[in-house]
Amino acid sequence: METRLLILNADPVFQDKALAIFDTMEAVETRIVRTLSEAVAILLGESFDAFIIEGEAALAVEQGTNARQHFPSLKIACLAPHLRENEAFTITEQQNITLIFTTRNQLRLEHRLKNFVRSLERPSVTPAEGIDPCHSLIGNLNQFSAAEILQMSCLSQRSGRFTFKSGRGNSEIYLQHGSVRHAVFGSLEGESAVAEIFRWRQGRFYFEEGIISQVQTVDRPWAHLLIDNLQKLDETLELVSV
Amino acid sequence: MRDKSLETKLRVLTLQLDNWNKLHDLITYGLDKAKPIISAEQERQLTEVRAYLLQETEYVFKQLDILGELSGKAMNVLQRVSSVRGVRDLTNDEIRRLEMEWNGVFTKLGVVQGQLKARRKELASQTAFKYYFSRVFRRPAMASS
Repeated sequence: METRLLILNADPVFQDKALAIFDTMEAVETRIVRTLSEAVAILLGESFDAFIIEGEAALAVEQGTNARQHFPSLKIACLAPHLRENEAFTITEQQNITLIFTTRNQLRLEHRLKNFVRSLERPSVTPAEGIDPCHSLIGNLNQFSAAEILQMSCLSQRSGRFTFKSGRGNSEIYLQHGSVRHAVFGSLEGESAVAEIFRWRQGRFYFEEGIISQVQTVDRPWAHLLIDNLQKLDETLELVSV
Repeated sequence: MRDKSLETKLRVLTLQLDNWNKLHDLITYGLDKAKPIISAEQERQLTEVRAYLLQETEYVFKQLDILGELSGKAMNVLQRVSSVRGVRDLTNDEIRRLEMEWNGVFTKLGVVQGQLKARRKELASQTAFKYYFSRVFRRPAMASS
Protein backbone atom coordinates (compact mmCIF):
# COMPACT_ATOMS: atom_id res chain seq x y z
CA MET A 1 0.00 0.00 0.00
CA GLU A 2 1.35 3.42 -0.96
CA THR A 3 2.09 6.13 1.58
CA ARG A 4 0.56 9.37 0.37
CA LEU A 5 2.29 12.63 1.21
CA LEU A 6 0.98 16.10 0.57
CA ILE A 7 3.89 18.51 0.32
CA LEU A 8 3.55 22.26 0.62
CA ASN A 9 6.46 23.98 -1.04
CA ALA A 10 6.16 27.46 -2.51
CA ASP A 11 9.04 26.87 -4.90
CA PRO A 12 9.15 23.17 -5.73
CA VAL A 13 10.71 23.12 -9.18
CA PHE A 14 14.31 24.16 -8.71
CA GLN A 15 16.85 21.88 -7.06
CA ASP A 16 15.35 20.59 -3.85
CA LYS A 17 17.08 18.05 -1.61
CA ALA A 18 14.05 16.75 0.26
CA LEU A 19 11.81 16.37 -2.80
CA ALA A 20 14.60 14.53 -4.59
CA ILE A 21 14.80 12.09 -1.65
CA PHE A 22 11.05 11.50 -1.71
CA ASP A 23 11.35 10.83 -5.45
CA THR A 24 13.56 7.83 -4.77
CA MET A 25 11.38 6.24 -2.10
CA GLU A 26 9.49 3.13 -3.11
CA ALA A 27 5.74 3.02 -2.48
CA VAL A 28 5.52 6.73 -1.72
CA GLU A 29 3.17 8.95 -3.66
CA THR A 30 3.74 12.67 -3.37
CA ARG A 31 1.51 15.54 -4.35
CA ILE A 32 2.97 19.02 -4.34
CA VAL A 33 1.08 22.23 -3.74
CA ARG A 34 2.32 25.80 -3.53
CA THR A 35 -0.11 27.46 -1.13
CA LEU A 36 -1.70 26.57 2.19
CA SER A 37 -5.20 27.23 0.85
CA GLU A 38 -4.58 24.78 -1.99
CA ALA A 39 -3.34 22.23 0.56
CA VAL A 40 -6.39 22.64 2.80
CA ALA A 41 -8.73 22.24 -0.19
CA ILE A 42 -7.01 18.96 -1.11
CA LEU A 43 -6.88 17.68 2.48
CA LEU A 44 -10.63 18.21 2.78
CA GLY A 45 -11.34 16.04 -0.22
CA GLU A 46 -8.64 13.38 -0.11
CA SER A 47 -6.88 11.23 2.40
CA PHE A 48 -3.14 11.67 2.97
CA ASP A 49 -0.86 9.96 5.46
CA ALA A 50 1.05 13.14 6.21
CA PHE A 51 1.29 16.80 5.37
CA ILE A 52 4.81 18.12 4.89
CA ILE A 53 5.58 21.82 4.86
CA GLU A 54 8.87 22.90 3.39
CA GLY A 55 10.23 26.40 3.57
CA GLU A 56 11.57 29.10 5.86
CA ALA A 57 11.42 27.96 9.48
CA ALA A 58 9.12 30.59 10.93
CA LEU A 59 6.67 30.45 8.03
CA ALA A 60 6.65 26.64 7.92
CA VAL A 61 5.92 26.42 11.66
CA GLU A 62 3.17 29.01 11.34
CA GLN A 63 1.58 27.15 8.44
CA GLY A 64 1.91 23.85 10.34
CA THR A 65 0.19 25.36 13.37
CA ASN A 66 -2.55 26.71 11.14
CA ALA A 67 -3.07 23.32 9.51
CA ARG A 68 -3.14 21.61 12.92
CA GLN A 69 -6.17 23.72 13.98
CA HIS A 70 -8.13 22.30 11.05
CA PHE A 71 -6.82 18.72 10.96
CA PRO A 72 -6.23 17.51 14.53
CA SER A 73 -5.22 13.93 13.71
CA LEU A 74 -3.08 14.60 10.64
CA LYS A 75 0.65 13.89 10.83
CA ILE A 76 2.44 17.14 10.08
CA ALA A 77 6.14 17.71 9.49
CA CYS A 78 8.04 20.93 8.88
CA LEU A 79 11.19 20.80 6.79
CA ALA A 80 13.21 23.90 7.50
CA PRO A 81 16.85 24.89 7.09
CA HIS A 82 17.30 25.91 10.74
CA LEU A 83 15.30 27.15 13.68
CA ARG A 84 16.71 29.72 16.05
CA GLU A 85 13.85 30.71 18.33
CA ASN A 86 13.07 28.49 21.29
CA GLU A 87 9.47 29.59 21.05
CA ALA A 88 9.09 27.89 17.68
CA PHE A 89 10.46 24.65 19.16
CA THR A 90 7.86 24.83 21.91
CA ILE A 91 5.11 25.44 19.36
CA THR A 92 6.07 22.42 17.26
CA GLU A 93 6.07 20.25 20.38
CA GLN A 94 2.73 21.57 21.55
CA GLN A 95 1.15 21.14 18.14
CA ASN A 96 2.63 17.68 17.65
CA ILE A 97 4.55 18.74 14.55
CA THR A 98 7.67 16.87 13.54
CA LEU A 99 10.60 19.12 12.81
CA ILE A 100 13.24 18.07 10.30
CA PHE A 101 16.23 20.22 9.43
CA THR A 102 17.23 20.30 5.79
CA THR A 103 20.68 21.69 6.54
CA ARG A 104 21.82 18.25 7.70
CA ASN A 105 24.06 16.39 5.31
CA GLN A 106 22.36 14.42 2.53
CA LEU A 107 22.67 11.01 4.20
CA ARG A 108 21.35 12.14 7.56
CA LEU A 109 18.48 13.97 5.93
CA GLU A 110 17.65 10.91 3.85
CA HIS A 111 17.75 8.72 6.95
CA ARG A 112 15.49 11.12 8.86
CA LEU A 113 12.95 11.38 6.05
CA LYS A 114 12.86 7.63 5.57
CA ASN A 115 12.26 7.16 9.28
CA PHE A 116 9.44 9.66 9.14
CA VAL A 117 7.81 7.89 6.18
CA ARG A 118 8.28 4.52 7.88
CA SER A 119 6.48 5.83 10.95
CA LEU A 120 3.46 6.51 8.73
CA GLU A 121 3.07 2.98 7.48
CA ARG A 122 -0.11 1.43 8.76
CA PRO A 123 -2.05 -1.78 8.24
CA SER A 124 -4.47 -1.52 5.34
CA VAL A 125 -8.00 -0.58 6.31
CA THR A 126 -10.92 -2.00 4.39
CA PRO A 127 -13.64 0.60 4.39
CA ALA A 128 -16.22 -1.54 2.64
CA GLU A 129 -18.09 -4.27 4.39
CA GLY A 130 -21.24 -6.30 4.04
CA ILE A 131 -24.65 -5.48 5.43
CA ASP A 132 -25.20 -6.88 8.88
CA PRO A 133 -28.77 -7.32 10.17
CA CYS A 134 -27.83 -5.49 13.38
CA HIS A 135 -26.94 -2.32 11.45
CA SER A 136 -30.06 -0.19 11.59
CA LEU A 137 -28.65 2.55 9.37
CA ILE A 138 -26.00 2.25 6.65
CA GLY A 139 -24.74 4.81 4.19
CA ASN A 140 -21.99 6.69 2.41
CA LEU A 141 -20.42 9.88 3.69
CA ASN A 142 -20.31 11.38 0.21
CA GLN A 143 -24.11 11.33 0.18
CA PHE A 144 -24.79 12.28 3.81
CA SER A 145 -22.26 14.15 5.89
CA ALA A 146 -21.50 13.05 9.45
CA ALA A 147 -23.16 16.24 10.72
CA GLU A 148 -26.41 15.40 8.93
CA ILE A 149 -26.72 11.84 10.14
CA LEU A 150 -25.71 12.70 13.71
CA GLN A 151 -28.21 15.55 13.75
CA MET A 152 -30.96 13.20 12.59
CA SER A 153 -30.06 10.54 15.17
CA CYS A 154 -29.75 13.02 18.03
CA LEU A 155 -33.07 14.64 17.21
CA SER A 156 -34.77 11.23 17.33
CA GLN A 157 -33.18 10.53 20.76
CA ARG A 158 -31.27 7.44 19.59
CA SER A 159 -28.88 5.36 21.69
CA GLY A 160 -26.22 3.27 19.99
CA ARG A 161 -22.93 3.28 18.19
CA PHE A 162 -22.00 4.92 14.89
CA THR A 163 -19.01 3.42 13.14
CA PHE A 164 -17.32 5.44 10.39
CA LYS A 165 -14.89 3.71 8.05
CA SER A 166 -12.71 5.46 5.51
CA GLY A 167 -9.21 5.38 4.09
CA ARG A 168 -8.13 7.48 7.09
CA GLY A 169 -9.16 4.73 9.51
CA ASN A 170 -12.13 3.75 11.62
CA SER A 171 -13.85 5.85 14.20
CA GLU A 172 -16.77 5.42 16.53
CA ILE A 173 -19.30 7.78 18.06
CA TYR A 174 -21.55 6.57 20.86
CA LEU A 175 -24.93 8.19 21.41
CA GLN A 176 -27.11 7.99 24.47
CA HIS A 177 -30.65 9.38 24.42
CA GLY A 178 -29.79 11.77 21.62
CA SER A 179 -26.49 13.07 23.08
CA VAL A 180 -22.96 12.22 22.07
CA ARG A 181 -21.40 10.34 25.00
CA HIS A 182 -18.11 9.10 23.64
CA ALA A 183 -16.10 9.45 20.42
CA VAL A 184 -12.87 7.81 19.44
CA PHE A 185 -10.63 7.99 16.37
CA GLY A 186 -7.17 6.46 16.66
CA SER A 187 -5.49 8.17 19.57
CA LEU A 188 -8.04 11.00 19.61
CA GLU A 189 -10.95 10.88 22.00
CA GLY A 190 -13.86 13.12 22.82
CA GLU A 191 -14.59 16.36 21.02
CA SER A 192 -11.43 16.32 18.92
CA ALA A 193 -12.47 12.94 17.49
CA VAL A 194 -15.93 14.36 16.67
CA ALA A 195 -14.27 17.36 14.99
CA GLU A 196 -12.17 15.02 12.85
CA ILE A 197 -15.16 12.97 11.67
CA PHE A 198 -17.03 16.14 10.72
CA ARG A 199 -14.44 16.76 7.99
CA TRP A 200 -14.71 13.36 6.36
CA ARG A 201 -16.24 13.46 2.90
CA GLN A 202 -15.54 9.87 1.89
CA GLY A 203 -16.22 6.57 3.55
CA ARG A 204 -19.03 4.46 4.94
CA PHE A 205 -20.95 4.51 8.17
CA TYR A 206 -23.38 2.28 10.00
CA PHE A 207 -25.36 2.54 13.20
CA GLU A 208 -25.92 -0.23 15.72
CA GLU A 209 -28.84 0.40 18.00
CA GLY A 210 -28.47 -0.14 21.72
CA ILE A 211 -24.67 -0.30 22.11
CA ILE A 212 -23.79 2.04 24.95
CA SER A 213 -20.34 3.21 25.99
CA GLN A 214 -19.26 2.97 29.61
CA VAL A 215 -16.73 5.69 28.97
CA GLN A 216 -17.82 9.30 28.72
CA THR A 217 -15.48 11.68 26.93
CA VAL A 218 -18.02 14.22 25.63
CA ASP A 219 -20.20 16.12 28.04
CA ARG A 220 -21.52 19.01 25.97
CA PRO A 221 -24.98 19.05 24.39
CA TRP A 222 -25.15 18.00 20.75
CA ALA A 223 -26.34 21.45 19.62
CA HIS A 224 -23.17 23.08 21.01
CA LEU A 225 -20.94 20.48 19.38
CA LEU A 226 -22.72 20.93 16.07
CA ILE A 227 -22.44 24.72 16.09
CA ASP A 228 -18.77 24.68 17.15
CA ASN A 229 -17.77 22.11 14.58
CA LEU A 230 -19.70 23.71 11.75
CA GLN A 231 -18.03 27.01 12.63
CA LYS A 232 -14.61 25.30 12.54
CA LEU A 233 -15.48 23.76 9.20
CA ASP A 234 -16.51 27.19 7.88
CA GLU A 235 -13.16 28.58 9.02
CA THR A 236 -11.38 25.77 7.18
CA LEU A 237 -13.38 26.47 4.04
CA GLU A 238 -12.63 30.18 4.38
CA LEU A 239 -8.94 29.33 4.38
CA VAL A 240 -9.45 27.46 1.11
CA SER A 241 -10.94 30.54 -0.53
CA VAL A 242 -8.10 32.86 0.57
CA MET B 1 13.62 0.15 -9.16
CA ARG B 2 13.25 3.91 -9.20
CA ASP B 3 15.44 6.26 -11.20
CA LYS B 4 16.05 9.48 -9.30
CA SER B 5 16.49 11.74 -12.33
CA LEU B 6 13.46 10.26 -14.06
CA GLU B 7 11.30 10.89 -10.98
CA THR B 8 12.59 14.46 -10.72
CA LYS B 9 11.80 15.10 -14.38
CA LEU B 10 8.30 13.71 -13.92
CA ARG B 11 7.75 15.85 -10.84
CA VAL B 12 8.74 19.11 -12.51
CA LEU B 13 6.87 18.21 -15.68
CA THR B 14 3.68 17.46 -13.75
CA LEU B 15 3.87 20.84 -12.03
CA GLN B 16 4.53 22.55 -15.35
CA LEU B 17 1.56 20.84 -17.02
CA ASP B 18 -0.63 21.75 -14.07
CA ASN B 19 0.22 25.42 -14.63
CA TRP B 20 -0.39 25.19 -18.39
CA ASN B 21 -3.82 23.73 -17.60
CA LYS B 22 -4.63 26.53 -15.18
CA LEU B 23 -3.50 29.08 -17.76
CA HIS B 24 -5.78 27.45 -20.34
CA ASP B 25 -8.78 27.62 -17.98
CA LEU B 26 -8.24 31.34 -17.48
CA ILE B 27 -7.70 32.01 -21.20
CA THR B 28 -10.89 30.09 -22.02
CA TYR B 29 -12.81 32.11 -19.45
CA GLY B 30 -11.41 35.35 -20.88
CA LEU B 31 -12.46 34.38 -24.40
CA ASP B 32 -15.98 33.39 -23.38
CA LYS B 33 -18.06 36.44 -24.23
CA ALA B 34 -21.06 34.92 -22.42
CA LYS B 35 -19.24 35.49 -19.12
CA PRO B 36 -19.00 39.26 -18.86
CA ILE B 37 -17.53 39.53 -15.36
CA ILE B 38 -13.79 39.18 -14.89
CA SER B 39 -12.98 39.36 -11.21
CA ALA B 40 -9.87 40.74 -9.55
CA GLU B 41 -9.34 37.25 -8.11
CA GLN B 42 -9.13 35.76 -11.62
CA GLU B 43 -6.63 38.42 -12.64
CA ARG B 44 -4.60 37.61 -9.52
CA GLN B 45 -4.69 33.89 -10.36
CA LEU B 46 -3.49 34.58 -13.90
CA THR B 47 -0.63 36.74 -12.67
CA GLU B 48 0.36 33.97 -10.24
CA VAL B 49 0.29 31.24 -12.89
CA ARG B 50 2.23 33.45 -15.33
CA ALA B 51 4.81 34.20 -12.66
CA TYR B 52 5.38 30.47 -12.01
CA LEU B 53 5.59 29.71 -15.72
CA LEU B 54 7.96 32.59 -16.47
CA GLN B 55 10.26 31.52 -13.66
CA GLU B 56 10.24 27.80 -14.34
CA THR B 57 9.59 27.18 -18.02
CA GLU B 58 13.15 27.58 -19.21
CA TYR B 59 14.59 25.45 -16.41
CA VAL B 60 12.04 22.66 -16.91
CA PHE B 61 12.41 22.61 -20.70
CA LYS B 62 16.19 22.46 -20.30
CA GLN B 63 15.87 19.50 -17.93
CA LEU B 64 13.67 17.75 -20.47
CA ASP B 65 15.85 18.66 -23.45
CA ILE B 66 13.08 20.48 -25.27
CA LEU B 67 14.22 24.04 -24.69
CA GLY B 68 14.99 24.81 -28.36
CA GLU B 69 11.74 23.34 -29.59
CA LEU B 70 9.31 24.92 -27.15
CA SER B 71 10.90 27.97 -25.58
CA GLY B 72 9.78 30.38 -28.34
CA LYS B 73 6.19 29.15 -28.39
CA ALA B 74 5.89 29.22 -24.61
CA MET B 75 7.24 32.77 -24.39
CA ASN B 76 4.87 33.94 -27.13
CA VAL B 77 1.90 32.57 -25.19
CA LEU B 78 3.06 34.11 -21.91
CA GLN B 79 3.72 37.50 -23.48
CA ARG B 80 0.37 37.62 -25.27
CA VAL B 81 -1.61 36.61 -22.18
CA SER B 82 -0.87 39.60 -20.02
CA SER B 83 -4.30 39.64 -18.32
CA VAL B 84 -7.70 37.95 -18.61
CA ARG B 85 -9.13 41.26 -19.82
CA GLY B 86 -6.29 41.55 -22.36
CA VAL B 87 -7.17 38.12 -23.78
CA ARG B 88 -10.72 39.30 -24.41
CA ASP B 89 -9.43 42.20 -26.50
CA LEU B 90 -7.26 40.04 -28.80
CA THR B 91 -8.16 39.89 -32.50
CA ASN B 92 -9.35 36.63 -34.06
CA ASP B 93 -5.98 36.11 -35.72
CA GLU B 94 -4.13 36.59 -32.47
CA ILE B 95 -6.51 34.22 -30.67
CA ARG B 96 -5.93 31.53 -33.30
CA ARG B 97 -2.16 31.94 -33.04
CA LEU B 98 -2.37 31.85 -29.23
CA GLU B 99 -4.40 28.64 -29.31
CA MET B 100 -2.00 27.01 -31.77
CA GLU B 101 1.05 27.89 -29.72
CA TRP B 102 -0.51 26.84 -26.41
CA ASN B 103 -1.58 23.59 -28.04
CA GLY B 104 1.93 23.01 -29.41
CA VAL B 105 3.49 23.36 -25.96
CA PHE B 106 0.79 21.29 -24.24
CA THR B 107 0.95 18.46 -26.79
CA LYS B 108 4.72 18.16 -26.57
CA LEU B 109 4.67 18.19 -22.77
CA GLY B 110 1.95 15.53 -22.77
CA VAL B 111 3.99 13.33 -25.11
CA VAL B 112 7.13 13.68 -22.96
CA GLN B 113 5.12 12.90 -19.84
CA GLY B 114 3.80 9.74 -21.48
CA GLN B 115 7.32 8.67 -22.46
CA LEU B 116 8.64 9.25 -18.95
CA LYS B 117 5.77 7.32 -17.41
CA ALA B 118 6.38 4.43 -19.78
CA ARG B 119 10.06 4.45 -18.81
CA ARG B 120 9.10 4.47 -15.13
CA LYS B 121 6.84 1.47 -15.63
CA GLU B 122 9.60 -0.34 -17.46
CA LEU B 123 12.07 0.39 -14.65
CA ALA B 124 9.61 -0.66 -11.97
CA SER B 125 9.77 -4.24 -13.26
CA GLN B 126 13.58 -4.32 -13.08
CA THR B 127 15.87 -4.84 -10.13
CA ALA B 128 18.84 -2.50 -9.67
CA PHE B 129 21.24 -5.38 -10.46
CA LYS B 130 19.45 -6.30 -13.70
CA TYR B 131 19.40 -2.64 -14.76
CA TYR B 132 23.14 -2.02 -14.27
CA PHE B 133 24.06 -5.44 -15.65
CA SER B 134 22.21 -4.71 -18.90
CA ARG B 135 23.79 -1.24 -19.08
CA VAL B 136 27.30 -2.65 -18.81
CA PHE B 137 26.70 -5.09 -21.66
CA ARG B 138 24.90 -2.51 -23.81
CA ARG B 139 27.99 -0.24 -23.84
CA PRO B 140 29.26 0.32 -27.41
CA ALA B 141 32.62 -1.21 -28.24
CA MET B 142 35.46 1.37 -28.27
CA ALA B 143 37.92 1.40 -31.15
CA SER B 144 41.47 0.73 -30.00
CA SER B 145 44.48 2.24 -31.74
